[in-house]
Amino acid sequence: MLFTELINSLITDTTQSLPRFGVELCLSATIVLFLLMRLTGLDRLIPACLTATIGALVATFLAYKQFDALHDLNAVPSVKIFTGLLVHDLFSVYFRGFLALFLLLTVALTSLTGIPDEDDSPDFYSLLFGATIGMMLMASANNLLMLFIGIEMTSVPSYAMVGFLKGRKPSSEAALKYVVYGAGAAGVMLYGISLLAGVLGTTDMSMLAARMTEAAAGGSGGLNDPELRTASLGIMLIMVGLAFKLSLVPFHFWCPDAFEGASAEVAGFLSVASKAGAFGLLVRFCLSLSGAPGTESLMTSFGVGLGFIACITTTFGNLAAYTQTNLKRLLAYSTIAHAGYMVMAVAAMLVMANGPQAASMQVDINRSIEGLLYYLVVYLFMNLGAFAIIAIARNYTFSEELDSFRGLISQSPTLCIGMLICMFSLVGMPPFGGFVGKLFIFASAFRAGQIHWFMYVVVAFGALNTVFSLVYYIRVLRTMFMEARPADARPVPVRLASWESAFVVTLAVFVLLLGILPHMMSQTANDAAQSLAIFR
Amino acid sequence: MAADLNAYLLVGAVLFVCGVVCMATKRNGIGVLMGVELVLNGANVNFVAFSRYTDLGLDGQVFSLFVIVLAAAEAAVALAIALNFYNNHLTIDVDRANKLKG
Repeated sequence: MLFTELINSLITDTTQSLPRFGVELCLSATIVLFLLMRLTGLDRLIPACLTATIGALVATFLAYKQFDALHDLNAVPSVKIFTGLLVHDLFSVYFRGFLALFLLLTVALTSLTGIPDEDDSPDFYSLLFGATIGMMLMASANNLLMLFIGIEMTSVPSYAMVGFLKGRKPSSEAALKYVVYGAGAAGVMLYGISLLAGVLGTTDMSMLAARMTEAAAGGSGGLNDPELRTASLGIMLIMVGLAFKLSLVPFHFWCPDAFEGASAEVAGFLSVASKAGAFGLLVRFCLSLSGAPGTESLMTSFGVGLGFIACITTTFGNLAAYTQTNLKRLLAYSTIAHAGYMVMAVAAMLVMANGPQAASMQVDINRSIEGLLYYLVVYLFMNLGAFAIIAIARNYTFSEELDSFRGLISQSPTLCIGMLICMFSLVGMPPFGGFVGKLFIFASAFRAGQIHWFMYVVVAFGALNTVFSLVYYIRVLRTMFMEARPADARPVPVRLASWESAFVVTLAVFVLLLGILPHMMSQTANDAAQSLAIFR
Repeated sequence: MAADLNAYLLVGAVLFVCGVVCMATKRNGIGVLMGVELVLNGANVNFVAFSRYTDLGLDGQVFSLFVIVLAAAEAAVALAIALNFYNNHLTIDVDRANKLKG
């Protein structure tokens, strides 16, 4: 190819791709703005949280516009952009909108609680926005290179955010643990990528399945085939990296420490957003490998293995939460358990997509991804709500221990009612959003049980764990509602007519709405899931 | 041809294992980070070797260039965090990072 042809095709490709990359570009521009404001001293005149709010608002609006445009029946359902490195479909736009909305809510929370002080806030928001861009790249990755870059781009700012409270011992310890384990997991994952890419001879994720078939063609199709064995090793090492980001057992140990050391706002951000991005990536990666003739049994066993890990993760997370006295640590274990519930949906998808009647089960495969996407949205509101209430109360009591929440109902009923809604939704009680999400996921896992019996066991573990989890959530609520406020406790006077209450009430209303009117969001989630299937 | 590829992969695997052992056994925070660098470079050797001998082509070399840049970025953040830990604890022994548990 001539040099000029190459340049011309690159220019055409880039100009076609850039409009579809608008959300990320908007966030990048905001980061540059933060740095420039710092340079010119403008950040003393205009508070950084205002710039951050505007940037996040514009990004959310752009994501909504993209979603609208793709919903148009005449639109091409899935386009590869930037020479096939990223893919632009409803699934990635769904995640973009989700993450932009979450970024907006986090910025609102941080400006309410004031955790990055005035001096540090431009730096803090740069890190926050950078991590969000990384998560968006994760959800739209179509190349193993983008998989790695997305994960690193999310992780590196997260390490810094966990250690952001520089003078505090727990914060620095949490950051050190997070960075050491995180860098190790990323290295192991990279080695896995090198093996997978080398054996299959491509880094393009949309070609992985076809290459797997070619690799399986010569041999037995099982683990006796050296090429398939190396590829499986690579897949497993990549799964280690993803499991670390999702805090699945046995790669969960960083999660409670990092959350306890970090501020509640950062912990809330990490618990929802980085999980969401990693789930987007996990779904894309698993789908890119499944459906290859000759490797079905191998992929089904991967799905069953994922289901097994999901069972262990939920059980461990729920049981370890029993003895916790620090609320952030308790919620960290609850996060681990919820990651387990959500992985059940991915396991069900993997089992069904590699079963004997995969083609006729397309609807059920879409349902399982729909369940995951729906659960993520509910999880956003309920988990951010719980962390926000901790952060708001901390500003008055200077403590995140469960004891400091004793009898809070007598002083700030709004916070307590908000916590009640969030926690009941986390358990999965009927009128709240968590119930609907769990129902979707368990139903799809039950459907996958027809392909492989182990998925029935997974459903049983999920149901059992819902009962386990009830106990420790109720313990928190009992402390807040039933016990008397100690006389020497610091007062928490959060009135109903305050910004803090308004924030909590907004989140709680969304948790309720998602439980009462599930069809609004579930249709959108299903459309996003369908765009993936077309891509396949 | 195949034998040559295997030799390179062996070097990569040795680097990987050395790195993992280093991460698992070192008590000094900087030592652990050195282990991470070894693992990343083991993967890099793999990428370059695969790009020479298989149809991975230039993708492998581009991948390793990106990894070098990302490793530098990660090391910068990790060293800053290690320095912050030192300022608070006057040590970078990772075994002393034991206040958060349960």
